[in-house]
This record gives sequence, C-alpha cells and structure tokens, in this order.
Amino acid sequence: MRESSITGRVTRSGISRRRVLAGAGAAAIGALGNVRFAAAAKVAPITIVINQSPWFESFRKTVELYEKETGNKVELDVNPFAGSLEKQRNSVRAAKGQYDLLIMNGGWFAEMYFGGFVEAISDIDPSFKLDPDVYTLGDTVFFDPVKKVMTPQGKLMSVPIGPLIPLLYYRGDLYKEAGLKAPETFAELEANARKLHKPPGRYGIVQRGARGPATVSFDFYPYLYGNGGGIFKNQAAADYTVTLNNEAGRTALEYYLRLAKEVGHPQTASLDQADVIQNMLTGKAAHISAVIAAWSPMDDPDKSAVVDKVEFAPTPHAAGLTTASGLGHWLGGIARNIPDDRKRGAVEFLRWFQTKDAQIASAKLGGIPVNAAAYRDPISQERKFRWMKPLADSLPHAVNVYQFPEASEVIAILELGLNQAVAGNTAAAPALNSMADQIHGVMAKYGYATGKLPPL
Amino acid sequence: MSSAAPDASAQTLPAANLRRARPKPAGGADVSSGGPDDWLWRWVTFSPALLMMLLLSVLPLVNLFLTSFYNVTWTGGQPTWTPVGVDNYNELVHDELLRAGLFNTLVFAIFAVGGQMLFGFVLALLCCRVTRGRILYRTIFILPILVPGIVVGAIWKLLLNFDFGLVNQLIGLIGFEPMNWLGAKATALASVIFVDVWHWTPFCFLLFLAGLESLPQDVYEAGKIDGATIWQELRYITLPMMLPTIMVTFAFRLVTAFKVFDEVYLLTGGGPGTSTEVLSFTLYQRFFRQDRTGYGASMSMFIIFLVCILLVMALSARKRVSAPA
Amino acid sequence: MRDDSKLTLQAVVLHAILIAAAVIVVVPVLWVMTAAFRTQISLLTGAFWFTPVLKSFYDLLFTKTSEFLVNYRNSLVVGIASTAICLVTATLAAWSLHRMAWPKWVIHIFLGWAMVFHMFPSLALASAWYTMMRPVGLDNTLTGVVLAHAVLNLPMALWLMGVFVRDVPVELEEAARIDGATTPTLLWRIVLPIIAPGLAATGILTFVFSWNEFAVALTLTSKQTATVPVAIAKFAQEYEILYTQMAAAAALSILPALVLLIIGQRYIVAGLTQGAVK
Repeated sequence: MRESSITGRVTRSGISRRRVLAGAGAAAIGALGNVRFAAAAKVAPITIVINQSPWFESFRKTVELYEKETGNKVELDVNPFAGSLEKQRNSVRAAKGQYDLLIMNGGWFAEMYFGGFVEAISDIDPSFKLDPDVYTLGDTVFFDPVKKVMTPQGKLMSVPIGPLIPLLYYRGDLYKEAGLKAPETFAELEANARKLHKPPGRYGIVQRGARGPATVSFDFYPYLYGNGGGIFKNQAAADYTVTLNNEAGRTALEYYLRLAKEVGHPQTASLDQADVIQNMLTGKAAHISAVIAAWSPMDDPDKSAVVDKVEFAPTPHAAGLTTASGLGHWLGGIARNIPDDRKRGAVEFLRWFQTKDAQIASAKLGGIPVNAAAYRDPISQERKFRWMKPLADSLPHAVNVYQFPEASEVIAILELGLNQAVAGNTAAAPALNSMADQIHGVMAKYGYATGKLPPL
Repeated sequence: MSSAAPDASAQTLPAANLRRARPKPAGGADVSSGGPDDWLWRWVTFSPALLMMLLLSVLPLVNLFLTSFYNVTWTGGQPTWTPVGVDNYNELVHDELLRAGLFNTLVFAIFAVGGQMLFGFVLALLCCRVTRGRILYRTIFILPILVPGIVVGAIWKLLLNFDFGLVNQLIGLIGFEPMNWLGAKATALASVIFVDVWHWTPFCFLLFLAGLESLPQDVYEAGKIDGATIWQELRYITLPMMLPTIMVTFAFRLVTAFKVFDEVYLLTGGGPGTSTEVLSFTLYQRFFRQDRTGYGASMSMFIIFLVCILLVMALSARKRVSAPA
Repeated sequence: MRDDSKLTLQAVVLHAILIAAAVIVVVPVLWVMTAAFRTQISLLTGAFWFTPVLKSFYDLLFTKTSEFLVNYRNSLVVGIASTAICLVTATLAAWSLHRMAWPKWVIHIFLGWAMVFHMFPSLALASAWYTMMRPVGLDNTLTGVVLAHAVLNLPMALWLMGVFVRDVPVELEEAARIDGATTPTLLWRIVLPIIAPGLAATGILTFVFSWNEFAVALTLTSKQTATVPVAIAKFAQEYEILYTQMAAAAALSILPALVLLIIGQRYIVAGLTQGAVK
C-alpha cells in the first residue's frame, strides 16, 4: 500500500481501483489516462539525468507508466556512462541546474552529498516518508551534514533507483550433472570450482583482476567483507582507522589469489567486468561474480551460449558469517540549484516510484526492484526471475564501502595494489600492508580520524 | 620560374622566419602587399581568427593557470578557493602515477609518432608513383582515421582478446601460442602503440600526400635530366621541399600523442600495473575522477610545459640538421 | 613520378607493398563493418562464419528511444558548419599572417599561442566552455558546439594552411598585384587554386575531427543536440560493451566522411600547380 500521506483516503481508493486495472492488463491503465489519479498532485515537468545501461529500458518504461498514471511529464536525458559524472557535476555546479533528478552512481553520490549539491527530500517535503519496505542500501540514502556520516539519524537525501550488487552466477546445468549444490561458504565455492575446472575450455571461476575505475576492487569486496574484514574500522562512527591488513584481510586476499591461480583464468590480471561476463556468456566460466544487472543477456539467445543454464546465489561467505556484497548502486537525488516547483515535481516522482505497485510493474518490465514487497510477489517464482530470491537474500547485508567523497583516491590505490597482486608481482601480505599504508596517508591528508594497524 | 632548389631550412617552426632564401624580389620582404586598401584587408582577413581565439581560448587557459595555485572544495553547493601557492606543483614530483606516466608517454610519443610519420611518408610516396588503383589505395589508407576513437578502442580490444580475438586466431593458424597482448606487461604498451599507429598513420599519410602532390614538378624533371637516382631524388629534392609539411605534421602528432586518451582508457585502463599509464590518463584520474581541480590544473600546466620543451628541442635539432645543407 | 605504367619489376614490387599495407589497414575496418551484421554471441566467440542479421541496425535506428538519426543530423550540421568556419577563418588568417606584412612578433605570438592552446586537455576545455556558455544560453545548442569545434580545430588548420599558403610563389602574387588585382581577386583566382590540395586535406581532417569529437560534444549537448560520438559512447556501458550496435553505428558513422574523402581526393592531385606556376 502506498505510504499513508496527507492525501489519505482518496489515495487508497485510487490504488484499489488500480489493482483491478493491473489485473486487466497494462493497456487498460494506459487507456484510462490521468483522470482517475487526481490524488497525485499535478506538478511541474522534471528532467531526469541517467546513464545508458542494461536496466535503462525498464526504467524508461516505468517512467512512461508514471506519466500515464499521473499525467505528469518527465524528460529523460540519457548519457553514456563515461561522462555521466562530468555532466552531472557541470549541472549542479552551475548557478541554475539543467537536471532536476540526478541518478547518482555509488561512485559519486558521496561527492554530491558532501558538496551540498543534493537537497534533502525531507527539506523539500517534510511529509515524505520512505516506504518501510524499500531497501536503504547500507543506509546510503541518509546523510547527516553536520557529522558527515550516513546513518538513519541523518536526513533523507535520496531514494534508491537500482540496488546493484554482485551475485554469484554459476552453471546450474554443470552443477546438476556433477550433483553439486549452490555454495554458501568460501570453502564450498573453492571445492566446486575445482571440480568444474577444465582448462582451457572451461575455467572453475573467472574473476576480475584488471585495474580500472572500480574493477578488481569490486570483485574483491565480497571476499573481504565476507571474511569479516573491512577497509575502515567503523565508518558510521566516522572512525577511519585502516583495517585492510588484518587477519581477515589476509585470508580474503590469499583466497582470492589462490582461486585465480589454481582454478581461474590464466589472464585474470587483465580481465574487467565485461570480460568476465563475456566468459560466462560464451560458456568458458563455471562461476563468476558479477553485478546483478548482467542477468538479462544470460538468457538472450543473441548474446548468450548458455541460455537457461545460469543460476544465481548470494556471494559466499566465511562459515558463521553472512554474505556481504559491495554496493555499486544507483540513487535518485534532487538537485539544489533548481526552482522549487521542479523540486516538488521530483519528490512526486520518487513518491510514486518507491511504492510496491510501481516496483512490481518495474520488475515486470525488466527492472530490478528496490522495494522488498516486489520480491515477495509471485513473479519471483518465475523461471525468468530466478535471480530475485538470491538478490533479496543479499540486499539486507549489502555493504556500503565508502561514505566519503575522496573515495576515488582510495579506490585507485586498491585497484593498483590488487592488480599487481593478481598479476603475481606482490604476495598477499606485503600488498595489503602497502595499500593500507597508502590509504592511511590519503585519509590523513584529508583530515579524517584515522589510524593504522601493525603490518602483517 | 625559379628552378633553384629552395632552401627550405628557412621555413622553421614556429614561424620564426617568413623568408624563403631565394632571390628576393625588389620589395624585400616575402609579402605581396603594396596597394592602398591593404590595411583594411590585413585586418579583415586576420580578425575572424583573432576574435575566435581571443573569445574562446584565452579565458580557459588563464583560468586553468590560476587554478593551479588553489585547492577547490565544494560545500553547500558553493566552491571554496583556498590558495596553496606552489603546493600542487610540489605534489606532482611525488605522484607515483605521474612518474610512470612520464616514462610511458615519452616511449609512446617517440615510437607512435615515429611509426606514423615513417609509414605515412612511405605510403604517400608510393601512392604518388602509381596510377592504377590510386583512388582505392588512398581511400583505404585514410580509412582508419574516419573511425571514431571509442570504436577503435572497443574493436581492437576484441581483436586482441586472448581467448577469441582475431589476432590470436590468425597467429594460431601459423602455429604460434596465443599471446595476452593487452594483459602482459611486455606487450601491453607495444599493443597500445600499434593501435595508435594504425589509427593515426592516415593523418600523416593524408598531409604528406597533399604535400607531395603540391611539389613543383619542374625540379624533378631537372633532377632526372641530371641523372639522379631514386635515393638522391628523395634526399636532395623531396625531403628538403617537404620539410615544412613534415615539421608541422610532426608537431601536431606529438602534441596529440601527449593527449592520447581514448585508446588507453578502452584498451587497458592504464594497466597491467602501470605499464600503459600515460600522462593524459593520469590527468583524467586526478583531475576528473578524483575531482582534484587545483592539482589537476597544475598537472595540465606541467604537461603543456613539457610538450613545449620537446617541441623546442625538436626545432633546434631540425635547425642543426638542415644547417649544413 | 608515375612508375607503374609498364609492367616492370618495379611496378610489381610497388603494388605488392601497397597491397600488403592495404590489407593490414583495411581488415580491422572491414571487421567492424561485418560485426554490425552479427549477433553479439557470434562476435564474442570469434566465429568466422555467421549468418547476417539486421537486428543491430534495427535497434539503432527504429526503436522507440533511438535518437541516432537526430544525432546524425546534428553531427552533419556541426561538422559542415564548423569545418567551413574553421577553414575560411584559418586560411584567411594564415595568408594574412604570412603575406600581409604583419610584424614578426604578431605572427610568433599568435601561432605559438595556437599551438599551446592545442596542447590543452579537451575535458578541461569542455567544462570551462560549459561555464562560459551556460549564462548566455549557448549550452545545449548546435551553435555552441559549432563554435567550440571551429576553435578546437583552428590551431591545426592555421598551421597547416600556413605551410600550404607559403607554397604559393610570391612572384605570382606580385605579378597579379602589378596587374591591378584586388585582394579578394588575388585570393580567389591565384591563391585558391594552388592551395587546393592542402585545403582539401585540411578540410577532410577538420571535418573528421569534428565528426568524431567526443569530450566537448558530450559536455555542450543534451538529448536533442547530441552528436554521433555521444550516441556511440552509450554503447560502452558500465558492464558490457554492445559491440554489434556500436559497430552498426560506426558503419553508418563513417559514411559522410568517406563521401567527403572520395570527393576531396580529386583535389589532392599534382598538376594543379604546374599550370599556375608557368
């Protein structure tokens, strides 16, 4: 049900009518137009800036649904991923912004929060409440501008648009043949990968090892956090003591390197996410860890040689701990430098977007919902949506690795260091010590409360 | 008309000297003015370019220069400029990526630019000597530069792919082991250089072609009468006359080589390790990804300064080479 | 200079070298073109034989969200306009500098500045221009991009046309002056025919650079004004590159430049200068 708002009863009756219509088919919704939904306030047209991606199509169709249901106009400005950040930066730094709703990537939303470019939704409309079923994704939707941390005590800055985290993709057909079951612990993953490792036609697991904007480090986070390790001690309390080179970190990296060397692709050090996904699509990989948004090409006969053979599971973890994927998600925040009526228009869109009905519709259109209710819907039982259950199991444990804007410098250190370790140039312990040292240097440079652990 | 081989050493870079060292006409300078409306036409022909450069190039450059002495941070949607003197420049010295980038960029510049100039010149020379299939050859040799940079990067990434790339398939046919072109330290930079040569040789080819076709034929005829061989023709007639074109092509290729970005970004992302880290890529990471405006500005200034030095060095080397002639 | 009129050893060797070079050059381009007709999986597995499909072109041109035709039109407008402006401005200025008795320091500083300007990283320029153009409403207009591209290519055009303009023998110009030619007549009748090869080459390069330019075009345009490289870049996504659609876009993308090239080539021919000189 839509969150109770000031427009109370009228809203509810509108929704029950909509349920009937949804049952009759999407076309009926369109045909009825905007007459019935007087509850959704008529607001100024808004412009959303977003990037082109596999899930964009579903987002676009969801927006069309919003336009049909409410009669509000939305303009979509679609950009290439390389350059999305620059475009958003240019707009928010100008005196008058070009874009109203910014779809921010996990890589730059911190910059937007810290820089004061995004206005808190609660400041624009104090009555707005986040639907309790919406995933808060590591609490990254909140921000306390005074303490500069992301906790639920802060203001609500954005609404999740795409909860993208990596999942484990594995070859269900090979598993059936060999009588294996989905791995939960790292030990199980390694055992299964060994059984299915038959080079050069098929590798047990194909990992990212290349140095990029967020490449090898992203593949590594589930191993690090799944072992109970972490880069910083306690970000929520603004304690940035570097803990990368603790025992859990060592276990994680040694495991990662062992997989690459013994059951992995011989050129792991040069593989990026596209290469890894390519390996799965062409049938060369028995396991990969990849962002959930890559599920759609797997079953597309034009793009895949393993149609209907891929299964999904949460990324594994150490025995006794939980899965912990790193967030690479998308949040929708409202720009500060735009007129008030457009801010309100953006709030209206977010208010609609987060509801269960909108999210289920979005899932049916091929999107990845942000509302847990959508994952409880019957469509999650369908073969086509077999990734929904593992994703729903993983999302509550997803980790927000960085909550500060200078994160890209830390990521650059990790990328280089991990890449060199995977390439065999450095062993695990020295690599971790060196990276921890450099990260500590960066945090100190920017004046964060930080410290170091003794070297491994 | 004059058939004395013009002393092309008079054409230098930047346009330091206008005169060709030929018998000078009575007017003295190498100009064709002399009419009463000259001052008008001087300005009319020059001012559009002047205006465009003034309006659109001065401000950004000056702004960048000034920014390099500040640190820019944003809060509450507003920028704060903190003056830091030469701190940004000091930090350049300690930047690990920059040091790797410097070496790689120099190697890249020398081999890529050298390769393109050489192949472009040879191909242009050969193309001038054929009649059959001229249009076809020329069109083919110019094709790579028509392909957008992003596509060049993406396509060569596929072609050089370890598992499925065409290159490995072809060398497999001859019996070689597949090589990890883009992922092995030894071959990564060479592969990037190769792709760049493939992409940009047409630039040199086209300019040399235009240059060669513009050369006065009478000099060659005189040379043939004197019994010059192909090599002598090349050394004493073609190269000296082509020197201005060669120098300008070289200068622009060098400057652009320092800006190379698309290929590195798409092919290797600066890896493996830092073996393909080039200056412009480091700049991209520091200036844009990490949003360090002041530091990035200082890095830009440094790169510009470096290229200027290289150009001046190339210029004086050229002067020394052509002086005895 | 033509050596292959007879079937001599020299001619055979000449053509052999040229053909070998042509193969190395053209195979990747052909590969891109054929990739546009494949399915993604056939491309990724490196299969040699494939059945052609038109799906990539369909996706590119005819789906609800495809703006490729609009982008194409924008690129044509920007390319032609910026090249025209750049060539005219640069040629006039180059001729003016070298033949109209400007003091040396003007020439040094102007050309030197142009070269330094060329060294600037384009992304930095792009954001500076965005900041300048937004207050006057030039951002997200084709005019803004046209001006930006014209200035961006101006240094190269200036220097190149400088070389070609100085190839015009001074005596020729002086003779024309003595005959009473005005400056426009001089430029049009005497200078232009001689610099035609250089002009054609520079024009081709300027058009191609404008057509393929990405950083500035991305910053200064939005949906309705975006150009072809921006459209192509959308296929290089966060986790996968849509190779076949990118190839289809690239195949269509090189057409205008190719046409321009085939036409422009006719002017890059020896003999144009000889008549004039004599």
